[in-house]
Amino acid sequence: MRLLLECIAACVGTIAFALLFQVPAIYYRYCGLIGGLGWLCYKLVLPLSSAAIATFFATVLVIFLSRLFAVRERCPVTVFLVAGIFPLVPGAGVYWTAYYIVTDELAKASTQGFQTLKIAVAIVLGILFVFEIPQSWFRWQKK
Amino acid sequence: MENSRDALDAAALAGDILLASGAEIFRVEETMDRIAHAYGVSSCDAFVLSSGIFLTAGSEKEHDFARVRHIPLSAARLDRVAAVNQLSREIEHGMHTPKEAHERLLQIQQMPAKPRFHQVLASGIGSGCFCLLFGGDLTDCAASFAAGLLLYLFLLYLVKGRLSKIASNISGGMLVTLTALLLYHLGLGHHLGEMIIGSIIPLVPGVAFTTAIRDIADEDYIAGAVRMLDALLVTFCIALGVGIVMTCYRNLVGGVIP
Repeated sequence: MRLLLECIAACVGTIAFALLFQVPAIYYRYCGLIGGLGWLCYKLVLPLSSAAIATFFATVLVIFLSRLFAVRERCPVTVFLVAGIFPLVPGAGVYWTAYYIVTDELAKASTQGFQTLKIAVAIVLGILFVFEIPQSWFRWQKK
Repeated sequence: MENSRDALDAAALAGDILLASGAEIFRVEETMDRIAHAYGVSSCDAFVLSSGIFLTAGSEKEHDFARVRHIPLSAARLDRVAAVNQLSREIEHGMHTPKEAHERLLQIQQMPAKPRFHQVLASGIGSGCFCLLFGGDLTDCAASFAAGLLLYLFLLYLVKGRLSKIASNISGGMLVTLTALLLYHLGLGHHLGEMIIGSIIPLVPGVAFTTAIRDIADEDYIAGAVRMLDALLVTFCIALGVGIVMTCYRNLVGGVIP
């Protein structure tokens, strides 16, 4: 139940950010779908592994879908990618790192900071990984 | 000859719009190349940085053309990226003369942003939704929604280019933290951390970060490094803003942060 609610929140939140980045309105539904599915993937992988690994798989899914829709809709991949990846950005990690620094709990701050860095690296790897796939593989959808 | 000049003008303007709207370097170069080639200019050569475009053309058969444009880092306008992309496809299919293409590009440049009211609302809704994702409950989301609204009201109506990027991000982080603290003490919301995280998300430099990674992956190291620096600086400023308010609050209440 909570999972469903979160996926809907990820979907709506992604659309809200798509609006802030001035994505044309006709693409909102794709952005929302990508954001929601990305979060679902993250949540499903999370119990089996660590936050960084779950983020990696979710990023791979988000970018794969973005490239798929980009080819289908004949528009730049950035349009879908940027908003879709937002739920995975380690905003919480940055906050708790800053929080522990302020409260003088430096050991916790470094653990948290390192964790955040790992998630950021996972996102980077996910992006690099999917962009290595040749563009022609995405063209099968249309002859 | 006139024609090739118009064609290069159009290509330069297209690159200009793309770069200013937050497209990747690779896309800017490719689009300018495509437009020039579609109009039969084969000697076109472009060098693109994250803040400028250098475009030259000229050979024994073609006229000399050179243009340097400075383009400051600015907010993402993905609608323009999509529109220029569409136009460059149409140009390749031979649907526009260079003059027409230039006209169309000027129109794209004038495309209005989404109404401010929508942006403010989107910031609120985004904050509320992300608060839920990071583990807040429904009352936290309501508080986050309010803080997110306030943040964009502040950014769009008060700041509006008057403050530097650094100052606006620090003050944005401070404003969000203050609002969340206030609401927390008024009894709206139970998890202060989640409330703040939800509402700082609209400040997070997602576009700069993803574009930076893609530029570096395309081996555009200079542009990628500049954008990455931009993203890190903004993140650091947000954390600083939150930290300043938290430190003050901590001293005020005597060491306990909920």
